[in-house]
Amino acid sequence: MKKLLALLLALAMCLSLAACGGTDTDTSGGDTSGEDAGGDASGEATYRVAMICDSSISDGGWGMSCYNAMVDAAEAYGWETEVSDSIAQSAYYDTIVSYCDLGYDLIYAPGNQYTDAVLQAAEEYPDVAFALLNGGEDTPAQAVNGNVTSLLPNAQQVGWIAGALAGLMTQTGTIAFIGGMELDTTLGKYQGYQEAAAYVGEQEGKTVTTLDIVYSGDFSATDKGIEFAKAMIDQGSDVFFGDASAVDSGARQAIDEANAANGSVTIYDIAQPSDLLGQNECIIGSQVTDNASLVGLCMQAVEDGSFGGEVIYGTLQNGALATGALSDLVPEDIQTKYLDYLNQMVDGTFMQ
Amino acid sequence: MEFVMNIILSSVRMATPLIFLALAELYSQRAGLVHIGLEGLASIGSLVGFLVSLITGSPMLGVLAGAAVGILVNMIFAYATVTLCAEQIVYGMAINIFAPALAAFIYRVYFGAGSELVQVGLMNTLSGSLGITSDNFLVRLLLDQTPMVYLAYGLVIFTVIYFNRTKSGLNYKAVGEYPKAAATLGINVIGVKYLACVICGALAGIGGAYLTTCYANTYVDGNVAGRGFIALAAVIFGRWSGAGVLLACLFFGFCDALQIRLQVSSFGVPYQFFQMIPYVATVVVLASIGMKKAGPKSSGKPYLKEER
Repeated sequence: MKKLLALLLALAMCLSLAACGGTDTDTSGGDTSGEDAGGDASGEATYRVAMICDSSISDGGWGMSCYNAMVDAAEAYGWETEVSDSIAQSAYYDTIVSYCDLGYDLIYAPGNQYTDAVLQAAEEYPDVAFALLNGGEDTPAQAVNGNVTSLLPNAQQVGWIAGALAGLMTQTGTIAFIGGMELDTTLGKYQGYQEAAAYVGEQEGKTVTTLDIVYSGDFSATDKGIEFAKAMIDQGSDVFFGDASAVDSGARQAIDEANAANGSVTIYDIAQPSDLLGQNECIIGSQVTDNASLVGLCMQAVEDGSFGGEVIYGTLQNGALATGALSDLVPEDIQTKYLDYLNQMVDGTFMQ
Repeated sequence: MEFVMNIILSSVRMATPLIFLALAELYSQRAGLVHIGLEGLASIGSLVGFLVSLITGSPMLGVLAGAAVGILVNMIFAYATVTLCAEQIVYGMAINIFAPALAAFIYRVYFGAGSELVQVGLMNTLSGSLGITSDNFLVRLLLDQTPMVYLAYGLVIFTVIYFNRTKSGLNYKAVGEYPKAAATLGINVIGVKYLACVICGALAGIGGAYLTTCYANTYVDGNVAGRGFIALAAVIFGRWSGAGVLLACLFFGFCDALQIRLQVSSFGVPYQFFQMIPYVATVVVLASIGMKKAGPKSSGKPYLKEER
């Protein structure tokens, strides 16, 4: 009897797990109620996109921005959306395959770290389209079925946009960058940030040093963000930029606390990849990537039947990269200089 | 010198949730229950603490709610392992899978598909409540802490006294050593085991709630980040004693704080070198303390009252 009860209890827990999966369904683009995969009541095909993410979509940074980009694009194109967030690395492939089995038209994987899982699934599901944000330039060519597209915001320019503002705003001459994992795109952003800050600082008659990049090793570790930021503030850093999802939120908390202890806002943070001005007191500006338009291009290609095998670049020149609103903490003369530098980046004369 | 002082302050911050979780494991194992589900209990405690703190505006109520939900979820473990005598490791792992999924589910139900970052006010520190502002190291170490930090250290002292200087504590330990002998002395073995599950659930829930009410002002899935398993190691490392557990937690906190500070301070040295410090230190220390088992003799074994 006891064994039976133990078995029943274990079964109940397993069943409840099935009900507790970290997925959200959101329908966009009109009334889609009562429809099965791939069709609605009128018989007209409805396209569906699913996003996988290893960080939370409520992280106040990367995950949130990428999710909002998918929802915005889906609204524009009338697609249905679904998301699985906070998934472990070991579940990348299984989650993607689950959506493929459910008949999703497009899998949206916002991060270089999903490359292997995407390529494997793309080989097994030739009829499904895969959009890999921050994918490698050579990744689409590796997909044997030609059903993978890389969405590639220019990491160097992302770093430049933040670095120029950091170079202008730093008072101590020391700035910092927090990375989540050692990805090519993260390194590209760091290098762009470092070189732009040094260049702008030099133009302004000051030496700007960027502390070595640090890695939390985890996109969910807000506590690591707090500790890294405290350590970097102790090293004299007064402007922060990062590429680490919820870790960045932790860093902003520590910066806000340090500013509160100082009695004024003298340590700043630059957010990415959407405009987060106002989320924390320390945010003075944001590097904005128009991921919605990049995802929208993929949706258009799926509808046209022309999807796959290409790299869609996001640059300052084509408008996919930009700067967000600037805080009042950035003086007007610095805002003017910053916009001048941005214009130089667009016309290709920056650091020339 | 400032570098060392900052590491000490950082170590205290990072060790506090570990102390709650390790004490939870200690109370469980001292009653003969090996509980590897601390990670899960802390996850649900973290979420519920965050939600209650958000709704009521009181981090202290958040902590109490974290303790309550920790007890509630741990009653599954208690019923299965104490009453039904099921395998403790299996149910601990089940809690580890079930509770974080439940936390993620509750978060989604409460906040819907929205993706805004939700932030709550953190518990005040003692110096903040007293209006004391100082850069003095000792003032920061002793006063710039939330009440939960004092509670953690107070519980360690209480645990040391309870297990070594009180009759009740010795009876409690007897249940984890020789439950049948304890039963012949009139000790309610089943009752003590259930009490252990209540204490374990409460402390693990508090450990999780600490993360979202005293440390970080937001909740993210996976924010417990393996602390439940580190706490398990801390109990073994601390040789199942209150003082040992405290030292082990401080050691783990110190190693993590050290790797973070060294990553920031050391130009040119590959970051992987620093990230492996906590793991290398753990392996070295566990190897150096030897394999001699100092834990409760009946730990992990089911107690069958009518068995000969």
